[in-house]
Formats: sequence, structure tokens, C-alpha cells
Amino acid sequence: MKPLLSWLDDPTIFRVGQLAAHSDHQHFLNQKEIGNKQSSFVTSLNGQWQFNFAKDPQSRNRHFFESDFDSASFEQINVPGHIELAGFDQIQYINTLYPWEGKTYRRPVGSLKDDVKQQAPFSEDDDNSVGQYLTQFDSPHRENNEKCILRFEGVDKAMYVWINGTFIGYSEDSFTPSEFDITDYLKPHGNKLAVEVFKRSSASYIEDQDFFRFFGIFRDVSLITQPKFHIYDLDIKPTTEENLTVGRLNIGIKLTASAAIIGGNVKLAVADANGKLLFDETSDLDTHIEFSDLRITNVHLWSHNNPYLYRLTLSVFDENGNLLELIPYQFGFRKMEIKNNVILLNHQRLIISGVNRHEWNDKTGRCITKQNMLDDLDTFDKLNINAVRTCHYPDQIEWYHLCDTLGIYVMAENNLESHGSWQKMGAVEPSYNVPGSLPQWREAVVDRARSNYELLKNHPSILFWSLGNESYAGDDIAAMDQYYHDMDDSRLTHYEGVVYTPEYRSRISDVESRMYASPAAIRQYLTNHPDKPYLNCEYMHSMGNSVGGMKEYDDLIHDFESYQGGFIWDFIDQALLVKDEVTGKPVLRYGGDFDDRHSDYSFSGDGLLFADRTLKPAAQEVKYFYGQY
Amino acid sequence: MDNIKEQMHVVYGDGTLGLNGLNYRYIFSYEAGGLESMLIDGKEWVYRTPRPLFWRATTDNDRGNHFSEKSAVWYSADMFSTCQKIKVAVNGHPIELPVAPVNNQYTSDEVSNDVDICFTFVTATSPQTTVDMNYHVEHDGEIKLTAYYHGNDQLPELPVFGIRMVMPTVATSFDYCGLSGETYPDRMAGAQQGQFHVDGLPVTKYLIPQDCGVHMNTESLLVNRQTTLNNADTDDNEFSLKIHQSAQPFAFSCLPYTSEELESATHQEELPVPRRTVLSVMGAIRGVGGIDSWGADVEPPYHISAGEDIEFSIVLNAQS
Repeated sequence: MKPLLSWLDDPTIFRVGQLAAHSDHQHFLNQKEIGNKQSSFVTSLNGQWQFNFAKDPQSRNRHFFESDFDSASFEQINVPGHIELAGFDQIQYINTLYPWEGKTYRRPVGSLKDDVKQQAPFSEDDDNSVGQYLTQFDSPHRENNEKCILRFEGVDKAMYVWINGTFIGYSEDSFTPSEFDITDYLKPHGNKLAVEVFKRSSASYIEDQDFFRFFGIFRDVSLITQPKFHIYDLDIKPTTEENLTVGRLNIGIKLTASAAIIGGNVKLAVADANGKLLFDETSDLDTHIEFSDLRITNVHLWSHNNPYLYRLTLSVFDENGNLLELIPYQFGFRKMEIKNNVILLNHQRLIISGVNRHEWNDKTGRCITKQNMLDDLDTFDKLNINAVRTCHYPDQIEWYHLCDTLGIYVMAENNLESHGSWQKMGAVEPSYNVPGSLPQWREAVVDRARSNYELLKNHPSILFWSLGNESYAGDDIAAMDQYYHDMDDSRLTHYEGVVYTPEYRSRISDVESRMYASPAAIRQYLTNHPDKPYLNCEYMHSMGNSVGGMKEYDDLIHDFESYQGGFIWDFIDQALLVKDEVTGKPVLRYGGDFDDRHSDYSFSGDGLLFADRTLKPAAQEVKYFYGQY
Repeated sequence: MDNIKEQMHVVYGDGTLGLNGLNYRYIFSYEAGGLESMLIDGKEWVYRTPRPLFWRATTDNDRGNHFSEKSAVWYSADMFSTCQKIKVAVNGHPIELPVAPVNNQYTSDEVSNDVDICFTFVTATSPQTTVDMNYHVEHDGEIKLTAYYHGNDQLPELPVFGIRMVMPTVATSFDYCGLSGETYPDRMAGAQQGQFHVDGLPVTKYLIPQDCGVHMNTESLLVNRQTTLNNADTDDNEFSLKIHQSAQPFAFSCLPYTSEELESATHQEELPVPRRTVLSVMGAIRGVGGIDSWGADVEPPYHISAGEDIEFSIVLNAQS
């Protein structure tokens, strides 16, 4: 297949050669590897790569991916990381308007009746930086028929990939893993991986989040070998009977086979949190396997106060009885429902004492460590925070596992925001809104819903699927909502942007969600025959010296059963620690401090924490009110 | 002898009124419009005379809801209000302002039990209003300082009303009895009541410097310093000024910067090298708000109407 640069312009092309999205389980060779949390099937490709920066598509090197290309002139870059923070491209912070504001004129494909005259907006326009990455690796050890998958956890904004000079795929959706089967392209030693990353593409329209606009390979890259029979998707469906004392477990398995299935089996073991074995079942090997209707009496429910997790282990054996892989997964039973206009978790009214959390590190941007996550969860515990909205994209996978373990309720948000297409200078002006009801954009956004669902479906911590943030509403977002309802009856859908399009109210969002509504406005909604339970997806804007008046929101919890709390905006200031050009001391800088224009300056400094993860003074107020429940 | 009160010496100067006691020496300047010197145990506490405080450095929410623009007259009032009238009373009896030649009637040995000196400031606003700053000095050195704002409903809402004192050098620490952390009228439910020690004069490191460091509902405050500007003072022992509530608890902030210095900086690193202690004692503070940062107003109970009178007092050099 020949890669085309015009894919950058075309919203209907967002994944080429990628493997289908699947659950986020890991596979291991044996119990010891599980204990060490280190799978020998996984080889990290993180580290120093060769790198060439081009300020626009025209000046990029057109041969860099070729096997015999001489890359002596290339520089070095650390993977993962943002290209801007490595010093190659200008740092920019901007909120709602598109980052090319005032620099180049663009309109989304299909959004205006007569498509405006514009050059191929991303492939030919010179406002589009390019990062060209090269690295070499030896093939990981593989048994016969084992496959090798190349996996990127997150690459912003659009990426073309070559192995040994052969094009293998293209992907968008910056915050979602991309996988490519490279088995057939590998040689034993010195494989050359070439990745070309563009700062902008049509996906820029739907990734207009309020944050520093970084590009590049910013999450882990790894090689994953898979045995000849491999569980690639695991669908754990724990349900409860009405009285909540009996749990029922259905497990669906999809298996890939790179050799003929002539026997073999999959063993399932389920243990409780103390390791006591509850089920031990075996099924013949097949491409689809179901373990159905496993019944647990006196089931332990999962909740914030008692995040009880059962332990599933799947073992795959070949026809000779050889263990090929082991898959551990922890899951929980909990019941989410709306009754009498109140969201109930395990028959109890759900009260969300939440925060919005961007992944942030003041030195490395959105490239964060597990320690950052643990520190954040420690702060959650200190401040009595019980819920998080992953604004406005899926987080690193580890985050969801930690939330399962620690009992943090998650609103799992899609990587979707098109703010600049419908709101300008504060006014609602959706004349060229995307995705809207445009057919050209529908698959791109439904694919994001699918990826988010398939990847994260087994996490008990996820109570809500959030369709996206501040993208207005139309048939396309309604299709995302429909997708989640088709796939999942154990969670609710959430979307705020439908407040502007009441005609979609019945098709989008199970909850009435608003942002920054005053306590008086919320009171008005709740006293006038509300038809959906209410939550604040964003409230208490913690910019600078703020977070006054929390009591007015707290009062609503006491006054209205259908008021379910909300998520404070937000958890941590997004500012960058840099060396002061005058004193040489480390200082925190914000938008506009890098000569970046157009900018929204300090507007990303809205955290309960300063960017260096120290608490703002208002934290004691949050701790107090959130500690009431 | 125990029942004979230690009396205060009054020095009827030509430009100042001096009050001297056992361990203090105060000078009130008629020109500067207030307490020009507060020497306690040989240590000077005043760098510039206390003035009415009307401005807080714009917070992000103040900027977002245009409060600072609507109430900008209080910025000029904070900077440029002037003292236009002075009244003196001795032992409760008003006297003619004792400047020459009126003061020629006095001697070198004038004593008094207590003295009141009141400075009336006219605000740099349109229309104008006045603030009385009355110092009631007891013979034992306690100063009850009362600030009285005369309401004028033609003026916009106030960010804050209080008294700003600038001390000659940076304090090493302060101790207070009140609420934990930084608190504001609409953000104090989560604070603990107690006795707190704060090292240095921390400026809360908001991305854009802004009003910060306020402590509500304070009963008492001890400001601790180690240095003076007196070239002949070689003593480096710590010394303290005790401030106590009068009838009601007060709010305060103790920072190295004035509201205007904070207002002018776009980043923490632009703030000047700390040189002074700026003690702001407040009788009324607008809430910080939190609904959003682009227009939502502070909730109604946390506004300060300019139309109402505001009065509050503190005790400086408290003896108890």
C-alpha cells in the first residue's frame, strides 16, 4: 500500500493498517512474570531515537523511511516526549480557538455548503510541522508462528509508520493505542522503524482541547509478541441480580490463531480477593469462547468505600498441553442504574466528589510517569476526592487499573473536542461545527467511541462513558451515544454539549450535565420537573485564588436527590517549569511566555494543585466539603 | 505605689505629636497623616504611616467578571487618598490641633493617661468619601486603631476595606490565632481553628501574582522580625509586635508586597526582592468566588457595598 499525504486532509481516513481495538489485558509467560509485572512478551522501544524536524510538509525528508537512507544528519530525541519540549518546535497554549488562528485560514471538510476554496489544508499548507523518527531494533525472540505487534500508546496528531522501508500503516486519535502487525516485515537484526508524525491533520478539528498543543510520540512504544494462540480480546461481564447478593459472570474471549487449531484449551480460574478459588473451568480452544452464567452467591460489590476486586486468570494451552500464555485480570461487580431520576450505584444514591484531571507534569507535559499517577491518587485520598473525569481524552491505561484498585469512580472521556468550530469569543456560533451531523466525520468519532469502549470495557471503576467535551451536538455524537448503549448496559453515557441543541436531548446523554452552572441555575433545573439526574461535569473553576462558595453547591446535595455532585475544574495547573532567562532559576511559565500567539495565557492554571503538584490553599476547603460523604 | 498609673509623656512638637512611655516612643506626623514611628523596645515598626486599604491585587476571578474594572476607583483610592483633617483629644478632651503657636503653651513635662489622634482621609474617588483613622493610645503603650469608612452609595463595590502598615524590614515569621491556611469569606468552612506559625512571608504562587495570604477570623497576631534599618542597631535577636483583636476578630495578610506590587507582576519572578513587611489588616473583604473565571459574580453575601459604613478596630502593641 502506498501512503498518501492527502490522508491528512481527509476526515474519513483515520486508520490504515491498524489492528482492531481490543481489551487492555496483558499476557504473560508464567506466574513469575505476573508477580514481577514484567511480561517477557513485551519489549520496550522507548529511548533515544534519531530525529529530523521539518517546519512544514514540503521541507520534510521524503526518503527517510527507506532502508538505505543515510540518517547521519539526524539529531536525537527521547521517546516518549513532546517535540516542542525537546526544543524543536515552538510551544503554544491556546484554549478554544484553533492553534492556527491568525496564521492560516481553514475550514473543516464538508462543514460549509459550498466547500470553501482552500489549499489541501494540512498536506500542503505550511502551518504543519513534521517530526521524522528513526530507530533500529532486533527482532524479539519468537517461537514458531508467534506474531509480533508494534504498539504505540499515544502519538499526537497523525502518524505514518514504515518497517524496513515498507509502509505498514497510518493512525490518528492521539490518545488511543495504535497497533500494527509487523510479523511479516521483520528480519532478525537491525530492523529499521520509521515514524513520521504531523502536527496537524483533519483530526486537529476534533482534538481542540484547552491545553498546550504538543505533538510527537508522547507515550510508550513497544513490541509485543503473541503466541500462536492468543487471547486478543476479553469481555468480562459481571452483573448482579436485583437483590445485589448474587453475582453472575459472563466472559467472552476472542482468540487469534496463527496456526491450525487441532486441540488445546483455555482454562479459567476466578478467585476472590483473598485468593480463594471460586471457579475452575476449561473450554476447548476456539476463536470464540464463552464462559457463561458463573454464579457467585454473597457477592462482594465494588464501590469507592470497598473496591472489592475478583481475580480472573486465563491460561491458554496448545494441543500438547504446553502453556502458551497467562492472562490475569481483576474485575468487580457493581450496579449502575437510574431510578426515579436518581443515579444509583449498588442501590445507593451516587454522590460524585470529583475532579477533572489532565495528565500533566510541569517538566514533561502530558508525558507522565506512574509515580505522577500515584502521587495524584494520594492527593485524591487526602482531599476525599472519589471520582475523576479523564478530561478530555483517554489516559494511560495504568490509570484505570489504579482507579479500579483504589475505588475511584471514572468518567471515561473520549478524545473529542471541537470547541473552535462552534464557539468563538465566547459566543455560540456553530456555522462550521464538526462533527455535527456530517457524514464525513461520523466514522472518525464513532471509531473513537469504539476504541475507548473496547480498550477499557473491563474496568469496574468506569461508571460513565463521556462522549467528548465541548463539541456541540448532532447526529454524529448521537451515533456515539447509540454505540455505547448498543454495547454496554452496565454504564451511563454522559455529554454536556447537548445543552445547546435540545432537539438531541433524548438521543444524547443519560444525565443532565452542565458546566459552571450557578447554584441558582441548578436549583431551577431541579425544581422544575427534571427528566434526567443532574451532575456538573465541570464546576468550581479553580483558577488562581478561587474555589469560593462551595457551600452553595454542597447545599444542593441535601436539597435534591437528583443532584449527584460534580467534577471540579480541575486537578492540576498546566504550566511549564523552565529556566528563567534572566536569573537562571526554575520558574513556571504559561501561554504567551514562549512568544506563542494567539494564546490564552494563564487560562490553563486552574488546578487544585500548582503545576509542581503542591496543593493550593483552597485544597482544605475541598477536603472539608468532599469529606462530608 | 501600685495603684499609681504609669503616665505617658506627651511631646507637643511642631510637626508631630510624640507619645513616650516606659518601653515605647510613638510619633504621629501631621504631614504624613498618621503614625510615623512606633518604636517599641528600641525597635522601629513603621516604615510608612498606616493608610486606608481599598485594593486587592486582581484575582483571576476578579479579572474574569470585570470586577476590577468596575471598581477601579478603589485602586486610585488605595494609592492616592490624602489626609485632610486631624483631631487630637487628651484624656478624652478635644484640644486645638497643637501646632505652633498653639503648642507654645505646653511644657517639656506634659503627661496624659490616654490620647486620641484621628486622621481623616479623603478618598481619591469621584465622588469622594472619607475614612477616619483614629489612634487611641493608652499610657501602657496599647494603641487601639479604629478605621471608619463613611459609606457613599454612588461608589462601586469595594474589593476590601482595611489598614495597610508597611514595616521597615522583612519579617522572619508570624504567629496567629485564627484559621488554618489561606481563607476568604466564602472559602473558610474547611479551615481549622488554632494557633499557627508561618515562616517567612510566603506569597501564594498563583501563576499570575494576585491577592493572597488572607487569614480570616483572627484573634491575635505576632509579627516577628530580626533586622532593622537603624545603622546603630547591632542586636540581632528576634523581636515581635503583638496585635490583638478589639471587639471583633480581624482578617489580615502579611506579605512582602503591596497590592499594587502584586497587581503589576505577570509572573512570580517579576515580583521585587522582598524588602519590607506589608501588613494588611482588614475589616471587610470581598469573597473570591469560584463558579467560573469569566463572568460569574461572587455569591451575594460576599460583596462589600460602598454605601454602608464600615468600622473595625485592632489593638497594636497589645499588652495582654
